[in-house]
Amino acid sequence: MYKYNDFDEAFVRERVAQFSGQVARRIDGSLSEDEFRPLRLMNGLYLQLHAYMLRVAVPYGTLNSRQMRQFAHIADTYDKGYGHFTTRQNIQFNWPKLRDVPAILSDLADVEMHAIQTSGNTIRNVTSDHFAGAAADEIEDPRPYAELIRQWSTDHPEFQFLPRKFKVAITGAPNDRAVVKAHDIGLRIVRNDAGQVGFEVIVGGGLGRTPMVGKVIRDFLPKEDLLPYLEAIVSVYNLLGRRDNKYKARIKITVHENGIETVRDLVEAEFIQRRELFNGADQALLAEIEPAFAQPDYITADSQGFDDFYKADPVFRSWVDTNLTEHRQPGYAIVTISLKAHGATPGDATSEQMRVMADLAQEFGHDELRVSHEQNIVLPHVHKAHLPAIHARLAAVGLATANVGLVSDIIACPGMDYCALATARSIPIAQQIAERFDELKLEHEVGPLKLKISGCINACGHHHVGHIGILGLDRAGVENYQITLGGDATENAAIGERAGPGFSADAIVPAIERLVLAYLELREGPQETFIDAYRRLGAEPFKAALYPDEAGGRKHAA
Amino acid sequence: MLPDLTTATVDDRVAYLNQRYKHHAAQAVLERALSDEAVGRIALVSSFGAESVVLLHMISLYDRATPVLFIDTQMLFEETMAYQADVAQQLGLTDVRTIRARPEAVAAHDPEGLLHKTDTDACCNLRKTEPLERALSNFDAWITGRKRFQGQTRAALDFFENEGDFRIKVNPLAHWTPEDVQDYMINNRLPRHPLIAKGYPSIGCAPCTSPVKPGEDPRAGRWRNQEKEECGIHFINGKVVRGPLPVEVEIEEEKPMNVIVTDQGFVNDDWAHGFIAAADLETSAADAPAVAIDLASDADPTILAGRLDGVDLIRVDFPSFSDGRGFTLARRLRLMGFNGRLRARGHVIADQYTMVRRSGFDEVEIAPELAKRQPWEQWQARAAWQSHDYQNRLRGAV
Ligand code: SF4
Ligand code: SF4
Repeated sequence: MYKYNDFDEAFVRERVAQFSGQVARRIDGSLSEDEFRPLRLMNGLYLQLHAYMLRVAVPYGTLNSRQMRQFAHIADTYDKGYGHFTTRQNIQFNWPKLRDVPAILSDLADVEMHAIQTSGNTIRNVTSDHFAGAAADEIEDPRPYAELIRQWSTDHPEFQFLPRKFKVAITGAPNDRAVVKAHDIGLRIVRNDAGQVGFEVIVGGGLGRTPMVGKVIRDFLPKEDLLPYLEAIVSVYNLLGRRDNKYKARIKITVHENGIETVRDLVEAEFIQRRELFNGADQALLAEIEPAFAQPDYITADSQGFDDFYKADPVFRSWVDTNLTEHRQPGYAIVTISLKAHGATPGDATSEQMRVMADLAQEFGHDELRVSHEQNIVLPHVHKAHLPAIHARLAAVGLATANVGLVSDIIACPGMDYCALATARSIPIAQQIAERFDELKLEHEVGPLKLKISGCINACGHHHVGHIGILGLDRAGVENYQITLGGDATENAAIGERAGPGFSADAIVPAIERLVLAYLELREGPQETFIDAYRRLGAEPFKAALYPDEAGGRKHAA
Repeated sequence: MLPDLTTATVDDRVAYLNQRYKHHAAQAVLERALSDEAVGRIALVSSFGAESVVLLHMISLYDRATPVLFIDTQMLFEETMAYQADVAQQLGLTDVRTIRARPEAVAAHDPEGLLHKTDTDACCNLRKTEPLERALSNFDAWITGRKRFQGQTRAALDFFENEGDFRIKVNPLAHWTPEDVQDYMINNRLPRHPLIAKGYPSIGCAPCTSPVKPGEDPRAGRWRNQEKEECGIHFINGKVVRGPLPVEVEIEEEKPMNVIVTDQGFVNDDWAHGFIAAADLETSAADAPAVAIDLASDADPTILAGRLDGVDLIRVDFPSFSDGRGFTLARRLRLMGFNGRLRARGHVIADQYTMVRRSGFDEVEIAPELAKRQPWEQWQARAAWQSHDYQNRLRGAV
């Protein structure tokens, strides 16, 4: 894992001092409220529905046990004993007091963490594949580049007041687990025909009210050109991006309005100039960063115990089948800990749960944890021999839910329960759906299915890229839930299509149930997943299941 | 309708003129005032202060022979005397009349020139009010630079005013804002009073004017440490029978002086050559001794490509501190090879000082209001911009 050097340490400390000063200057009037707002946002502090919310970066989703324990400490000391892991691999604390925030930031600095640029119109925390460094399909670990980008984007003098927020994601594997096509800049590590490794650069993706799949601006970028190229893109956007309309300010609109060709020409021209500014120091720094992400010292152990337990215990078996992913190291597995217990708030973890996860990482997991954009926690390097023990300890704190990738592994934004912008509740809907499928005992049979819920058109719950997406709206004061079908967040990124009229809060759960049961009827066999069946059959049979009366009515009329 | 001028009172004439010209712009009002029979014999009274040049320039366009009355208190700065001569010559004014106190009066009341130390009112009366009154006795009207925004008593200021039922005062700039004045001066590339750059935003007589610190009220330098704020008999119950002292009138229109923030602290603007819009670079005099450009935040910096050599200073506008285009503009200008002075102007806050400097700017120009709210200490806290900079590490600058 990356360790702060003296520079990083001093930087973060200085930043804490600056923010403490800004809080004081807001209070004494030196800073107007308008001036203070972006400054607090730059330090991760939002004003939410009920209180301030502090969003802490987990850079590229990687953290160690000490950092996870510090989250538990913060949750206990300054909050209500829990934290919320987000779709951008951050953690949010929903109830901090303004006067405590400098102390929280200082506690974070103690464990090499910060809240810098987790909000505001600036380059946000870089996200990455939560299986990076462990997945079997990887070309290269993307995290050294992610760390380089973190350093480059942190306090970048040109890019603290962009037209709008700016999100960068990077993946090192052909199977995209970082949704790079839905980011302002997506980077895919690729190998060209000559066998060299570089980046495919994608710009202008994004969800929100105008969802767009990113477009390739450069199909192969040599690795050493990464920073000047990023700098060229962001500087072009800084001048070209619209500032007259907040809803048209993201780079996806800039690309859409100007055309990818124009943007590419501007970027390539700027890139030539920017490259002059880099003389190799960044590559030297990268070389220093890389060893921090070396493979852990894998152990060898006898996994006979695992095999026996697997055969003997159906609960364990179901968890292993659902929550484990293949590791590149023989004998190892990647464990996804579900933060989606049926009926719980997706992404929430109590301080006790955080401590258990930290302990497990320290004892069995080479001291590494990951936050996934699907709001789960990952133990990336676990020898199979330890799985029975891990499962038992997770079960003791309600973390052994075997639903990763299934219908109840729902991504849901905070919605009306916390978010000031929400037009509908999302968490309670997620809870009800999860509970319903738990009752039906069907979700393992249904298999992989991504269900995502947003509480308003800002789409923080990524509903556009859910196989089933749910968007909560407000129709004349009444919650109304619209369903989209066929979205995909992987390398085959697709935006879901609206199925038809929305459903009331009471009708949405039965509607989802009808939809899923219809899939079971329609599929060719258990090997055909929901999204595969949808692609084969198109939307019609699914719409018919959603709106049975209408279909019947139409038939009748005909 | 034009009143019968043989019988019309000043009131009648003023009412007629206001009615007739109420929808005219400043220039048109001035132009007509110079020739309208209802106005009569007219003069411009000018202090040759910081903003006087606006009306002087307009006069020069319409009628260079218009009498210009310049009050020399014999206590003025050398710079003002030189500026007066320069401006009169540059604009081709042919009838500048220097007005002074009668030598006998000075000999009687202030032979050593020290009256201002004991009685400024008496001194102003001797050196300004009385000589001006005498000079104006030959005119039916005079032109002032007073403006509505300058205060409550002027909120309803008309283009034409009745002065004591015996003279008309013409206020062509009544509707102008301080920005209009600045724009006019910039657009017409008018020469600025040299003392502005030395910290004298309000310029009167030498013994009674001291420089103003950045952020201070621009008039704070006048009669420092004295109760006095206006000259002599300036206001009498809000009614001005004898007219406010014109020297003061013009000075009042000074826009508060902006503060320049540098690594060393707040300083006064030492740039005295004015600014031109980037688009006007084309037409600017090739032999201009010093060129400074104003670049808007939405400007395309490539319009300056290949023409940066003769440019000494570029001032990039920040209409709002949350509009970060200026940072990239600065970096681009530096990438284009601009080595001159680069200044960020407008709403930049102390917290952004590091970013400003790191993006390639040399200095920041802020309004006095902001300088007051965010004093130097707050900028100083961000002045160590070379340290703790990831960019330096990534670019091998450390
Ligand atoms: S999608 Fe809307 S309701 Fe949900 S978190 Fe985002 S802004 Fe809030
Ligand atoms: S400004 Fe000062 S010196 Fe000049 S006339 Fe007035 S009091 Fe006298």
